[in-house]
Amino acid sequence: MNRAPDQPQANPLREGLSARPVPQPCSIVIFGATGDLTHRKLVPALYNLAADGELPPGVVIVGFARRDKGDDGFRSDLDETTRKFSRQPVRDEIWNAFAQSIFYHQSEFGDEAGYKGLAERLEELDKSHGTRGNRLFYLAAGPDQFEPILKNLKAAGLNQTCKGSWARVIIEKPFGTDLASARELNRVVRNSFTEEQTYRIDHFLGKETAQNILVMRFANAIFSPLWNTHYIDNVQITAAETLGVGTRAGYYEEAGALRDMVQNHLIQLLCLVAMEPPTDLSADSIRDEKVKVVRSLHRWSRSEIAANVVRGQYTKGTIHGEPVLGYRQEQNVNPDSQTETFVALRLFIDNWRWADVPVYMRVGKRLPKSATEISIHFKKAPAVLFNKDLRDLNVLVIRIQPDEGISLRIHAKVPGTSFRIEPVKMDFHYGTSFGKPSPEAYERLLLDAMSGDATLFARSDEVEEAWAFVDPIEEAWHAKKDAPQLYFYPAGSWGPEAADDLLARDGRAWRRL
Amino acid sequence: MVMPATTEAYSLGTPVEMGKIEQELKKLWHDGEGAMTRASLMNLAVYSEQPGSLNNNTQLMARLTENHACRAIVIEADCNADDDLVSAWISAHCHVSSVGSKQVCCEQISFLLKGGCTIQLPSIVLSNLDSDLPLYLWWQEEFREPMDPQLWWWVDRVIYDSHGWSDFHSQIHLLALMQEEANQRIVLCDLNWTRLDNLRFALAQFFDHPASHHRLAKISKVRIDFALGFRSTAVLFAGWLGAQLNWRIEEVKSPLELRFIGASMRHIDVELRERDGEAVHEVALTSADVEFRVTYAHCGDLLEVSRTQGSETRHPQLMPAGKNDPVGLISEELIRGGPHRVYLNALHCVRDLL
Repeated sequence: MNRAPDQPQANPLREGLSARPVPQPCSIVIFGATGDLTHRKLVPALYNLAADGELPPGVVIVGFARRDKGDDGFRSDLDETTRKFSRQPVRDEIWNAFAQSIFYHQSEFGDEAGYKGLAERLEELDKSHGTRGNRLFYLAAGPDQFEPILKNLKAAGLNQTCKGSWARVIIEKPFGTDLASARELNRVVRNSFTEEQTYRIDHFLGKETAQNILVMRFANAIFSPLWNTHYIDNVQITAAETLGVGTRAGYYEEAGALRDMVQNHLIQLLCLVAMEPPTDLSADSIRDEKVKVVRSLHRWSRSEIAANVVRGQYTKGTIHGEPVLGYRQEQNVNPDSQTETFVALRLFIDNWRWADVPVYMRVGKRLPKSATEISIHFKKAPAVLFNKDLRDLNVLVIRIQPDEGISLRIHAKVPGTSFRIEPVKMDFHYGTSFGKPSPEAYERLLLDAMSGDATLFARSDEVEEAWAFVDPIEEAWHAKKDAPQLYFYPAGSWGPEAADDLLARDGRAWRRL
Repeated sequence: MVMPATTEAYSLGTPVEMGKIEQELKKLWHDGEGAMTRASLMNLAVYSEQPGSLNNNTQLMARLTENHACRAIVIEADCNADDDLVSAWISAHCHVSSVGSKQVCCEQISFLLKGGCTIQLPSIVLSNLDSDLPLYLWWQEEFREPMDPQLWWWVDRVIYDSHGWSDFHSQIHLLALMQEEANQRIVLCDLNWTRLDNLRFALAQFFDHPASHHRLAKISKVRIDFALGFRSTAVLFAGWLGAQLNWRIEEVKSPLELRFIGASMRHIDVELRERDGEAVHEVALTSADVEFRVTYAHCGDLLEVSRTQGSETRHPQLMPAGKNDPVGLISEELIRGGPHRVYLNALHCVRDLL
């Protein structure tokens, strides 16, 4: 969002050009290079950046993984998957040039010698491709591999750089499984890389609409005076998906919806909605304000958790007219699993701006539709004149995905001789107003990391504060005595009734999506 | 969506009476079948005096509106006609949006003016603007007096192509008059400058790295290859380098050989070469023992950028070249916002050579 720290202040030829400065040449080393993330997201994102002219000449990609494979084999695999998953059609001329900068380094993650070999190879590439000693390490491996990878990078001296060059590490979520493990992970990372070198990726923040929350709030004067407890009745954040657990049961059984979605994505979105204006657009100014929101989240006592947090698990049902299995019947799921696939929370932000404004969050699998949206529900106008019988509030909706956009519900008089008032919706769709499709979140985030701009990445204190909020809920759920109930909901419904009760008690209801 | 006015791909649509355009537009949307969304981010008025331009520009609008939602006001003027006459049509350009199956439609109002063109123009444009949206005026003719203040006061960006100008200085003078009328508020968008966008970007990226900055101060030679008829484009490119790097013209050895002088009294020789190919086909900068080169790749719509130093291996990279056609150039121009200060500086640097 801000000027990338690595970018010079004064390339006079850059003035007035609409494209952002290209980052410095670098080697991007992907750990877990044969995995899904590399094939579906990372390499297609890098290809798209190259095709749009956003990568500097001399960027090389080195895949690091266990499987026996050579450069050509790796390129050939990526050729196939990039054609399948790329945002724009792959052009042979561009791919052929791009592929020449892709290499494969075979090694076990725990094998120190493999990292020495990597260091030698990167030095060779520095000479042959002009990558100038700049390194971006992307940890796309499982979290259990983070520690050996980071330790070995340090042992091979790859965390160090000579003057004028840089080394950075991108870490994929989950950033721990609780506060203790997050602290431990942060400690492990800090042993090898400083906080400034560390980029914790949350792909929700790379989405155009998430970035637009700040623009909407701070570039439009009309919202600012209304954005507080005096005018806002409640805030709702929904992240719904029709998909079930799919092939992720191994991970999901351990994580559950709270850790998988709330601790990171939803709290990050909440921060953007609730934060104070930053002093400037630098990464730390924005993250300073975000972390204050997380710190201000009201912590429920164990006895209050059941009344404010609802967990659920889907049973068999129907999605898009097709019958689907219940969670416990899914492959690799414990038939007695207590893992939540749905969470609804009633939160409060204990600060001046948001005092007494409830924030309702819900996230779930196998819900009737896939949608991530934030809605700001404004208070009723005074109950005189037209408002005595009005039930609906003014609602501002920020659609994160799909069909990114913003809508505003207002009241209007129905044409006719009587005075009937109905809600109407003003709608802005990114896809309608701007023909050009948005870049994928990973494109934006990879480019930012290469440029040294950490604005859209989570800082260690944000991560730890989010765990500090989530941990008591997890502890209450796993308590041997008086653990809050796990509710069940049929696939294709909007979650358990208890989630509706959470709002009904306050005289409110979930927004209809 | 099936709309009555768009059954023919590039039809001018439904003829309408001048006083009923807004009314008929409403009807157009009302009568349309199926789900559709009207979108508009700007008013884009196009003015031409070429016979048949109404059809040609309608075709351009059909392509432009795929990516740039606007209300298009397309005007063809026959200023030499004996009688004054204005005919108008309305139509819609509908496309499937980039994010699904939704039909996104933009409306077009077409006018054929006969007779007193310049007198009619302001009232026709101003009375058909989509409110609260900026007015971009794409002027496909050479400017001529009188420059009607009524019109220029409302224009936010004026788009023109200096490439075809017969008398550069008189045109610039008229642009200055127009700016005066508009209190210097209009952004001047020269498609001849837009033509250079991708080349400028490709060259600029060599110097993003701080370690490359000192190379800028050591540039001694510049070579710009241009196609027949595009000398002005090449000169603008040289002007851009001169303005941004604080060079000034010391000597014009010939129309194709210029000598600039830099801040430290260093000479920079600029050679312009006419060659077959794109408008500006290749640019090479020599700085001590390093050559920075941007050239069109064989496939034509990509640029090959490379830097060579001594025996260092060359790793050319491909970058987008953009398209030197009206839709490509206008699209590029519409994506960009803000003022064109850099253009004005470049122009100022080389205006005596144009």
